[in-house]
Amino acid sequence: MSANYILKRIALIFYTLFIVSVLVFGITQILPADAAVMMLGENATQEALEALRQRMGLNDPVWMQYLHWAGGVLQGDFGTSLRTGQPVGPALFSALGTSLTLAGFALIFMLILAMPMGVIAAIRRGKPADLIVGFISYIGVSLPEFVTATLAVMLVADMWGLLPPAGYIPLSQDFWGGLERLILPVVVVSVMMIAHVSRMVRSELVDVMHTDYIRAARLKGLHPRRVLFRHGLRNALLPTITIVALDVGYLLGGVIVVEEIFSIPGIGRSLMSAIQNRDLPVIQAGVMIMAATYSIVNFAADLMYAWLDKRIQYD
Amino acid sequence: MSFNRRAFLKTSTAIAALAVAAPHLALAQAEPEQGGTLRVAVDQAISVIHPLLTRVNPEYLAGELLYSGLTRLGTTMEPEPDLATSWEADDDLTVWTFVLREGLKFHDGSDCTSADVVASFEAILNPELASPASNNVGPIETVEAIDTTTVKFTLSSPYADFPAALAYNNARVIPASVISDDFGSLRSTAIGTGPFKLVSYEPDRLVVVERNPDYYDPARPYLDRVELHVFPDPGAQVSSLIAGDIDLVMTIGPNDFMRLEGQDGVDAQRVASGQFCNVNFGCDMAPFDDVRLRQALALTIDRQAMVDFMTEGFGTMGNDTPLNEAYPFFQPVPQREKDIERAKVLLAEAGYPDGFEAELIASDRPAIRTQLAVALKEMASEAGITINVTTMPHATYLDQVWTKGAFYIGFYNMQPTPDGIFSLLFTSDAAWNETRWNNKEFDELIGKARAVSAAEERTALYTEAQALMNEEAPSIIPAFFDMLGAKRSWMQGYDIHPRGSVFRLDFAWLDGTAPTRQG
Repeated sequence: MSANYILKRIALIFYTLFIVSVLVFGITQILPADAAVMMLGENATQEALEALRQRMGLNDPVWMQYLHWAGGVLQGDFGTSLRTGQPVGPALFSALGTSLTLAGFALIFMLILAMPMGVIAAIRRGKPADLIVGFISYIGVSLPEFVTATLAVMLVADMWGLLPPAGYIPLSQDFWGGLERLILPVVVVSVMMIAHVSRMVRSELVDVMHTDYIRAARLKGLHPRRVLFRHGLRNALLPTITIVALDVGYLLGGVIVVEEIFSIPGIGRSLMSAIQNRDLPVIQAGVMIMAATYSIVNFAADLMYAWLDKRIQYD
Repeated sequence: MSFNRRAFLKTSTAIAALAVAAPHLALAQAEPEQGGTLRVAVDQAISVIHPLLTRVNPEYLAGELLYSGLTRLGTTMEPEPDLATSWEADDDLTVWTFVLREGLKFHDGSDCTSADVVASFEAILNPELASPASNNVGPIETVEAIDTTTVKFTLSSPYADFPAALAYNNARVIPASVISDDFGSLRSTAIGTGPFKLVSYEPDRLVVVERNPDYYDPARPYLDRVELHVFPDPGAQVSSLIAGDIDLVMTIGPNDFMRLEGQDGVDAQRVASGQFCNVNFGCDMAPFDDVRLRQALALTIDRQAMVDFMTEGFGTMGNDTPLNEAYPFFQPVPQREKDIERAKVLLAEAGYPDGFEAELIASDRPAIRTQLAVALKEMASEAGITINVTTMPHATYLDQVWTKGAFYIGFYNMQPTPDGIFSLLFTSDAAWNETRWNNKEFDELIGKARAVSAAEERTALYTEAQALMNEEAPSIIPAFFDMLGAKRSWMQGYDIHPRGSVFRLDFAWLDGTAPTRQG
């Protein structure tokens, strides 16, 4: 993997973000809502609205507004929320931190369960263990989060009283209390990921175990465990990494329902309420931040590919 | 829950007597205990704590904890003293003088005087700030400080409800120095005279306030601390209440009310209110400029069915006027009943013997708007009227339809007085003139009632105005919602308020059975 490649990849990330920025800016221009009205609310006089439009530059040509906004973003200034009147950046980055905390714990929990499940299902193919893993994954894939979340709250919190039903406490404020409140949401968002990751590990591992190089490794007398983990799993993991990288996108933007039910102030919820309130600067910044995070995670996944499989040479 | 209108009529005639009586009414229960942390669940982010700019109930709650106004609304809608201890008007009801308490302190220790009151009201009325209060505090022309504890308001027209109007959620007193130096700082900090001081503020998660030791009433507040937890999901709120993690859920829906009723250790609370969801006609646009079409549509409605369907039985019937038993100065006018035959006759007279077709617009928030639209569509079809329901995102609706459309669904909280709701929505000069009914006779009746202080005369005028509105039907108001909430039984001194945006948590306290909590 050459330095040249990495530079090219980074340039590509910026190019992607540029396209995203034009798209999101364009879409927020088309949305039927007037930023000045959203900011001053239903009580504003026409004169006050006009003065605010002047001040915010809303009467400038769209390309000028875009340049002004993009220039701010490059300097880390995402503008001011129309609803709260506070800078957008700090609020969204704090929401992103919350989402990443949830995502991090969920990924770890998911991998701890899904990897062994996939491996067991693959080496016991067609046996009861495989069928049980398959059954569990099908249930996981077919239950939407709002069902699993509601069931989890009803059983664990309402009936058994084992865990608090909702609420989020930053780990920096109260580590154990915060962790306790993360257990249910982490389990809920993991269920679906466990399902597809264990299926993916299983099917890839089954394929790999039938290749010539595995047969060669067996024939030269390697210990079966070494064959499985060093030669089999290592190669079977590549597509799994792609799936996990895609799941990060899901964890950032796709778990709004879970964030709502468990009252977690994540970036999905911020973006959702910004869309409802037509808080344009928050929508723009939220989409940019999510797109950037997603691009970076996928970049990291590509780098991991090369690290795991030396045959992959990027140039 | 019954609303004591007679008590109101009696007390409101003697403002001075009321000023003394009201706090005692509120305290006539068990002896309150001091201390403890109260946890409240609210359903929306507290995006704004700037007291002049708050717009939704959770924000109003934060504002009420941290700030005070000149007056506040009592449990039966009567204006009570807050920072002002007494007030009087001239005979015209255009010049009002308010006397402040002595020795008022802001949270930062500085004095709160008439100069701060003047500066606050000037800020509220400044069009550049566009404070929601500017439409609701009455026709203030000038506000002056007479001495350090006396403030004089001069109004452009008589306004008998002025003390109640000053209790508006955004009419809060803030330091004059903050207004001139760093007004924006109130978006993230709070310097008020309210019963609690701000400890921490995270808009999407948690607002924490603690007891203000310098509050003007040394006994109150009883609680040491109040935490407002943002729980957007109703299920999470109710689960947390049952688990004892939360002491008070501000608002719940009918289903959760039924689930909580009879639960051990939990009190489901309910009060009749003037909150309604209505159908607005653009009376200046075809086809609804023809009063017969409006009447015909209003006649297709089965009101009891609407109460059952829209409120699931937790509501009261409406009669196409915004007033009901929850309001002071209310007398019922004859109830409009479903009458399809009469509706068909009216349609034929208006030139639509085979009915007509119209597009009804409903925003998607709250969902009840769409429910009403669909119910109306079904009921109107009996008279041969075809209604096509269009739903749209709320922000789009505000931008394109609200106060402009010909036929759409509205949703409004109860206001403190009849005048508050009439001149917010239905007079010609209403701030939100949704129906453009612009009826001179109606305007005159409402205007006359503003200039009269005798309760019986006001009731008569509002009844006449109601009859006129019912007759002309600029808007169909089929049902009113009850306010529903729930608390733990260990929380005392709190009743759900019909206005929906008044909370009075400085009277709340926790009894000995409440769990002790670290802050």
